Amino acid sequence: VTRRLSLVAALAAAWAAAAWFLWQSKVPSSLRLPHVDPHRYFTNPQLHAASSFSSVSDLLWVLGVVTEVVVLALFAWRGERFARESAAGPIGTGMLLGMLGFALVWLAQVPFTVLDLWWQRRHGLSNVGYATAVLGGWLALSAQFVFLCVALGVVMGLARLLGERWWIPAAPFFVGLVLLFAFVSPWLGTTHELRDPQLRATVRRLERIERVPNTPVVVAPVRDTTSVPNAEAEGLGPSRRVVLWDTLVYGPFTERELAVVVAHELGHLARHHIWKYVGWYALFAFPGAWAIARITRRRGGMANARAVPLALLVLVVLGLLALPLENAISRHMEAEADWMALRTTRDPAAAIGLFRGFVPTTLEEPSPSTFDYLLLENHPTIAQRISMALAWKRYAAQSP
Amino acid sequence: MNTAMDAHPVRLVVRDDLERSRLTVFFRLILAIPQFIWITVWTIGIFFVVVANWFVTVAAGRPATTLHGWTSAYVRYTVHFNAYLYLAANPYPGFTGEEGEYPIDLELPEPGPQERWKTFFRLFLAIPSLLLATALGGGFSTGFGSRRGNSRFSGFAGRGALAATCAVLGWFAILAQGRMPKGLRDASAYGIGYGAQVAAYLLLLTDRYPNADPTAMLDGVDRPPEHVVRLVGNADDLRFSRLTVFFRLPLAVPHILWLILWGIVAVLAVVANWFVTLFRGTPAGGLHRFVSRYVRYELHVYAFLYLVANPFPGFDGAPGRYPVDLVLPEPARQNRWKTGFRIILAIPALLVGTALGYGLFIAAVFTWFVALVRGAAPWGLRNYSAYVLRYQAQTNAYLALLTDAYPHASPLEGAPAPQQALFEPAA
Repeated sequence: VTRRLSLVAALAAAWAAAAWFLWQSKVPSSLRLPHVDPHRYFTNPQLHAASSFSSVSDLLWVLGVVTEVVVLALFAWRGERFARESAAGPIGTGMLLGMLGFALVWLAQVPFTVLDLWWQRRHGLSNVGYATAVLGGWLALSAQFVFLCVALGVVMGLARLLGERWWIPAAPFFVGLVLLFAFVSPWLGTTHELRDPQLRATVRRLERIERVPNTPVVVAPVRDTTSVPNAEAEGLGPSRRVVLWDTLVYGPFTERELAVVVAHELGHLARHHIWKYVGWYALFAFPGAWAIARITRRRGGMANARAVPLALLVLVVLGLLALPLENAISRHMEAEADWMALRTTRDPAAAIGLFRGFVPTTLEEPSPSTFDYLLLENHPTIAQRISMALAWKRYAAQSP
Repeated sequence: MNTAMDAHPVRLVVRDDLERSRLTVFFRLILAIPQFIWITVWTIGIFFVVVANWFVTVAAGRPATTLHGWTSAYVRYTVHFNAYLYLAANPYPGFTGEEGEYPIDLELPEPGPQERWKTFFRLFLAIPSLLLATALGGGFSTGFGSRRGNSRFSGFAGRGALAATCAVLGWFAILAQGRMPKGLRDASAYGIGYGAQVAAYLLLLTDRYPNADPTAMLDGVDRPPEHVVRLVGNADDLRFSRLTVFFRLPLAVPHILWLILWGIVAVLAVVANWFVTLFRGTPAGGLHRFVSRYVRYELHVYAFLYLVANPFPGFDGAPGRYPVDLVLPEPARQNRWKTGFRIILAIPALLVGTALGYGLFIAAVFTWFVALVRGAAPWGLRNYSAYVLRYQAQTNAYLALLTDAYPHASPLEGAPAPQQALFEPAA
């Protein structure tokens, strides 16, 4: 028992040390964010529209999540009966059960998907047709199923080889898979070059300052499906790049505001945030896989196809429980990227202008409820971001 | 569960002896010109007859005897004409659609009561069978076409992929041998027969829906010799899980990806086995077994994807585990000439397989809807799809050097089976 406790303590210490290392940030720990009153920056109609939009969106999200958990709980209870629809061996049957579990979740969520789309279309945020959304979701299950089959094939194969200790090699395998996906994902989407020569020159200048030279900055054509402005930093090593949505580049934003966006995304790359995301994923993958192995023991372990429906439920519930923590980590990195953007552009007015522009274009609440903040916000709130721009202004004025 | 259907009232009669005159076959298209003209004229006339008969049948619940007789003669004539055009028969057909005078003939029902609602919606109800008929061929596909906005009457034109492919291949074979290959004749006759059932349904001769079951269609036709590659399984099990039917395509995607990956290695194995077979005269045992598994796995995946079987297949192509399974030969001596030119020799089989595949896709789409509603596959469509899969498996086995026995295009299974023609009971 002592040996086991010592091992657990050592692992917990290693976990905490790794988490501390990953949590390091360029944002000064002494920085105090001033309070921002949203009414100073946004009109009442803007605040009302954002609040009204978010209330329904949040409700649909909650209903969707509850449905997902209920469906998976029912599936965990009675899903093994679908094993009779399989002529494959135990692993193939496990794959079928896994796919059917997610298929049922998708089916149960179709009404919420349609309602959410209707709500977005009503507010001019989406241009996707209903048939496209439903049929596209049905077809998108294919990609999900392929990943699920690979995952279950590996887990069940390892469980048949190693018994309950399958999680020890499985966790690094999934980390490797995430790493691989992070590396190749930039090549999966359609983009074109940034055409504006002035913005290109700005990009080169920002890259030099942030010490991420020759990072491709490209434009993703998304206007046919959405009007929401966005940008992403993606890739690892040679595949890393910044993607600006055309809704942002050709949207209502000034060159200076776009420079803030580019600097923010370059900040992600300069601070190795994608590597850190993978690191955080690794920190959660080991205990998560261990928990699944423990909980599915009563169904004969993951070597048995009967355990798959329960494993799906555990996976989703663990994901939900980890969501507030995941969002906190994400907000922490996004705040650092904001800080990098302010440090690089030295233009807090443009940053504030950009964040103010997000409210009417995304209908994001500047200061959402605690529930929303904990479960749905993976970026600092608009009020926090404006607050950071103000704090940087004061910080820069005080620093030599 | 009694799944086999009662005999269809529209019955194809095949009395053809496969003998052909090279001269008339060589000039077949030109010789058919008068028939083309005649059928176009007749089609225009029959349009008005059918419209009148539709009103009578909706009102009285049964077609008018005289109008029924005219339409019967027309449908029978289309069978004679198609059989001549597609080389399924040899003699020049008469112009009147007389019963009992032509080697490929049609027995049609007497006028009888028909359900009014089926009559009222006949045109819409016939759409699925019409689509399948375009894949199988022969029969009835006449109407108005449009080119660059100008409507024009297109006249009668058999557009079936299967019958047309068999005719083209048969044309060369007849010129060489003086005989129509039985497999091609049977396939063509099947397509013509199905087209005739569709025509009879659409033109109000019967309210019985067309039956795509090849065995029922060619009842009474001699079976071909048993092929070394054949299907086995439980023919009576038509049960389908609605859930797996609804998600059939996404569920099949992991298998399709695995099939592609395995296929890359299988192609390399076939190339290696080609050299071995060419020099030794017999394929290498290990490679033969490896490729056999792949060919069997491909059948399992397609049977699942195209709704011929219900359960999710395994990823290993193991024999005896799937309800639709494949009997494949052990490695045996093969003709070196056939091995050397295998790809070229396989081209006709690939063409027939492609034509059949078009119908397979249509059958799968309709089976999807029916199975979703009823929880069971339609007997006729399932058996048609099984026929296609069997033919494609025979082609794959031939291409992959598992056998030098050429695929047999006949919809009839070679093995003498007293009850079910397309399957044998599982071992």
